[in-house]
Amino acid sequence: MLHHIKNKVYHIEILPPKQDSQKLEADLELFAQKYNRVMESGYCACITDNAMGHLSFQGTEMIEELGLEVRPEQVMIHLNTFHTLEDLHNILDTCKSKGIKYLLVVSGDGSERLPKLQPSDVGAEGKVESVTSVELLKYIESKYPGTFTMGVAFNPYEPPEHEFEKLKRKLDAGASFIITQPIIEKNKIVDELLEKYPDIPVIVEAWMSRKLHLLSEAVGYEIPENTQYDPIETLKSIHKLYPQCGVYLALLGFKTQYHLIKDIWV
Amino acid sequence: MILTSVTDRSKYSNVWVVAEFLSDKIQPVTYELVGAARKLADKRSSKVWVVAMGSGISQQVGSLFAYGADKVIVVDDSRLSGFIDELEADVLARLIGKYNPEIVLYAATARGRALAPRVAVITNCGLTADCTGLDIDPENGDLLQTRPAFGGNIMATIRSSNHRPQMATVRPRVMRALEPDPDRTGEVIHETVEMSDMLKIKRIIDVFHSDETTVNLGDAEIIISGGRGMKGPEGFELLRKFAAKVGGAVGASRAAVDAGWIPYSHQVGQTGQTVQTKVYIACGISGQIQHLVGMQSCDFIIAIDKNPDTPMMQLADIAIVGDVFEIIPEIMNELSKM
Amino acid sequence: MKIVVCIKQVPATNEAKIDPETKRIIREGLNSILNPFDTYAIEEGVRIREKFGGEVIAISMGPEKAIEVLREALSLGVDKAILLSDKEFAGSDTWATSYALAKAIEKIGDVDLVICGKQAIDGDTAQVGPGIAAHLGWVQATYVMKVEDIQDGSIKVRRMREDGYDICEMNFPAVITVLKDINTPRIPSLKRRLAARQAQIPVWKPADIGADTDKIGLDGSPTRVVKTAPPPAKKNVAKRIEGTPKECAEALVRELRMRSII
Ligand SMILES: Cc1cc2nc3c(=O)[nH]c(=O)nc-3n(C[C@H](O)[C@H](O)[C@H](O)COP(=O)(O)OP(=O)(O)OC[C@H]3O[C@@H](n4cnc5c(N)ncnc54)[C@H](O)[C@@H]3O)c2cc1C
Ligand SMILES: Cc1cc2nc3c(=O)[nH]c(=O)nc-3n(C[C@H](O)[C@H](O)[C@H](O)COP(=O)(O)OP(=O)(O)OC[C@H]3O[C@@H](n4cnc5c(N)ncnc54)[C@H](O)[C@@H]3O)c2cc1C
Repeated sequence: MLHHIKNKVYHIEILPPKQDSQKLEADLELFAQKYNRVMESGYCACITDNAMGHLSFQGTEMIEELGLEVRPEQVMIHLNTFHTLEDLHNILDTCKSKGIKYLLVVSGDGSERLPKLQPSDVGAEGKVESVTSVELLKYIESKYPGTFTMGVAFNPYEPPEHEFEKLKRKLDAGASFIITQPIIEKNKIVDELLEKYPDIPVIVEAWMSRKLHLLSEAVGYEIPENTQYDPIETLKSIHKLYPQCGVYLALLGFKTQYHLIKDIWV
Repeated sequence: MILTSVTDRSKYSNVWVVAEFLSDKIQPVTYELVGAARKLADKRSSKVWVVAMGSGISQQVGSLFAYGADKVIVVDDSRLSGFIDELEADVLARLIGKYNPEIVLYAATARGRALAPRVAVITNCGLTADCTGLDIDPENGDLLQTRPAFGGNIMATIRSSNHRPQMATVRPRVMRALEPDPDRTGEVIHETVEMSDMLKIKRIIDVFHSDETTVNLGDAEIIISGGRGMKGPEGFELLRKFAAKVGGAVGASRAAVDAGWIPYSHQVGQTGQTVQTKVYIACGISGQIQHLVGMQSCDFIIAIDKNPDTPMMQLADIAIVGDVFEIIPEIMNELSKM
Repeated sequence: MKIVVCIKQVPATNEAKIDPETKRIIREGLNSILNPFDTYAIEEGVRIREKFGGEVIAISMGPEKAIEVLREALSLGVDKAILLSDKEFAGSDTWATSYALAKAIEKIGDVDLVICGKQAIDGDTAQVGPGIAAHLGWVQATYVMKVEDIQDGSIKVRRMREDGYDICEMNFPAVITVLKDINTPRIPSLKRRLAARQAQIPVWKPADIGADTDKIGLDGSPTRVVKTAPPPAKKNVAKRIEGTPKECAEALVRELRMRSII
């Protein structure tokens, strides 16, 4: 992951189509276009796992079904705890056989319709009541030793003592890089994070939508509304503020913004 | 039956209640239904009949008169122990054909909700589910049945003008029982089961009783919900005891689930379950919007938090300022005194 | 085994509005989804077939748009889907709905087991399942939380009761309605979704199933919705309790008792 930062490789989030899409074929086409564009630019495509609890297709089945090329350094799969054990192994086996090595392991967003891993599925019965990213990390490392490079999420908007305590457990469980929730300016908690873990690659998320209220919804806590929000300018300032960090771009506009980010990271 | 003329209507009279038994014990909802039936019958100057089906139940039916019944039909048969839907439906359909009631009320319980639609189809009658209000048109005897639909977002009033009897189910604790009058008496009629070969095609092998509190948040009337303020799995142990005391289920915020303190199936909110209980008690939950969307339409919300200014404390009907670990044990103490 | 699963299309939000004139649901602008309970019915049918062989057929009565939930059922693993759709069916209450579905099940023929959801989230009555059983004259088990066993023409199920559960055994043909506890429905794969989008789904009219038109639709329905209104507004009596833990507890219990909550 460090070399992504050194080589200024953006992490670009792409969402697979939703399960209830009315125009599935068109959505698949669009997904393939975005994915291929990210590959050609030398960036890293980050494929979400039922983000916000919305039922969507898996990154691995998209890659298989659409016959997309996997460049190991350029693909990251998000993986949450809302799967059956069988599906989890399907996903991990596909990752392994396709040579996907980067995983972002998160507890994730559930919904009534999504199954949830049980403590007994991952050998954590009696230890926890609910499977979180910590148990999932341990389980993957035990079943697929040395196969994947796993990252975890860090939310600077949650009460810091809890978030740091949880982060420590995630790192102890085998995580080797960190991606934060979006920040739009200098953030005290992120500063503290960088100070605490100078040797762990940290990727900060940049919010590429003009709609800041969506950001509040995505992180769970209210973020002061700023009507003048300019994503591209903010991205520039984040590079200046956090030159030691990589950057993950959420909700990047492929039509309107993609061509603008080319020369920003200098 | 379908009515073909106005005079048809006059063949039907009296309000019936199908008594609810569980393990051959009469259930309180029966008295509530009798209370509701009494009011309807009085408006039509007719009588309240109760149909009691079960095994070894004859001794229990006396109390029904005290609560307002005029007549009780007892069908006491060992085959009616446990719930064989088809057998009870057959008995009821036959009695309805014999005595022509104007209205039949059932409890909207697991048993009543299985039995009533079966009888309604056999007797060619309308059936209104889960009524919260019952009134009668004194002119023509039409039952005005009010019920929630769309998850409680609308109230619909339903009539079944061209069919008799008119049938409705009512949930427990929706209607009120009358004050019992021990001096009231009435008539008991005995009837029998006629369907004989039923048990060849359907049998109850076993019955299991469990007092476990419902995990299923959707079925609970009271939810005791905990958040990060509960500090750990031990905090949720306290909530489980609290819930057991009031017959409720335990809910949780995502922060508590993500910390591994309680299974995801208990999570309330945008990415968990949406609940609509009578009472919701939030313990150490700040009330971020993603949590509130899952519980804000509960009827009565109580919040306990040491911070008086959280969104949950603003939303609550009753907001208690203080430490959950001091207040909850005291509440349980108070409840024990009752 | 031949299994029929009955599924209903329902409005996605539970904020649906009713047209004050026609008293009908205003469906415009609302997303429609598969009734959540019916996902469990489909999954159970598919699991039984996976274990015992046979075929699973999904049927739905509704407007043409209801074809969407049948495609969903196909992507979830049923073998065939049939839509009952015609203006004559419109406005059916639970009596008429269960009559039409029963006629369709007779037309399909040789069915061993019918599976319904516990209830639909719009009508909320839970009456259609037992109604189908009664029209067909079959045995029924409602609120099923587990299928324990299937053997030689009979099924053993665990039924929820108010005070626990019972184990009930019955011969085929039978109707069951299932709770959410019964299973964890699978998530459709992209492959199945794509195949379901191409599937041909037959549409049956009243004449196709030999339904008596006096027994379907608004005219065939014994119940009639005569009025709809919003639920009574909740009055907010926000109250703050402060003091020692004991005082707080006493005050709360007093409030709860006053409102006959406990
Ligand atoms: C996409 C998305 C979906 C989400 N979905 C959900 C969801 O479905 N459900 C959900 O709940 N959240 C959800 N969240 C998370 C939500 O935003 C909040 O993070 C979460 O609800 C906070 O949980 P909490 O109130 O328990 O914790 P906190 O916000 O930390 O609140 C804890 C409260 O406990 C109080 N407290 C602490 N100690 C004590 C004590 N001893 N006595 C009394 N009070 C005490 C504190 O004063 C505080 O008010 C979601 C977030 C996102 C981004
Ligand atoms: C406000 C309102 C109130 C109503 N109240 C009543 C009432 O009290 N009495 C009454 O008789 N009718 C009533 N109706 C009519 C009723 O909603 C319709 O008859 C409906 O088609 C079936 O009833 P349900 O939605 O309650 O389904 P439920 O009986 O709750 O559904 C149970 C199961 O039956 C199956 N099923 C139901 N409908 C279909 C279908 N169309 N196709 C395939 N499978 C299906 C599914 O498996 C479902 O899970 C009401 C309608 C409205 C709008």
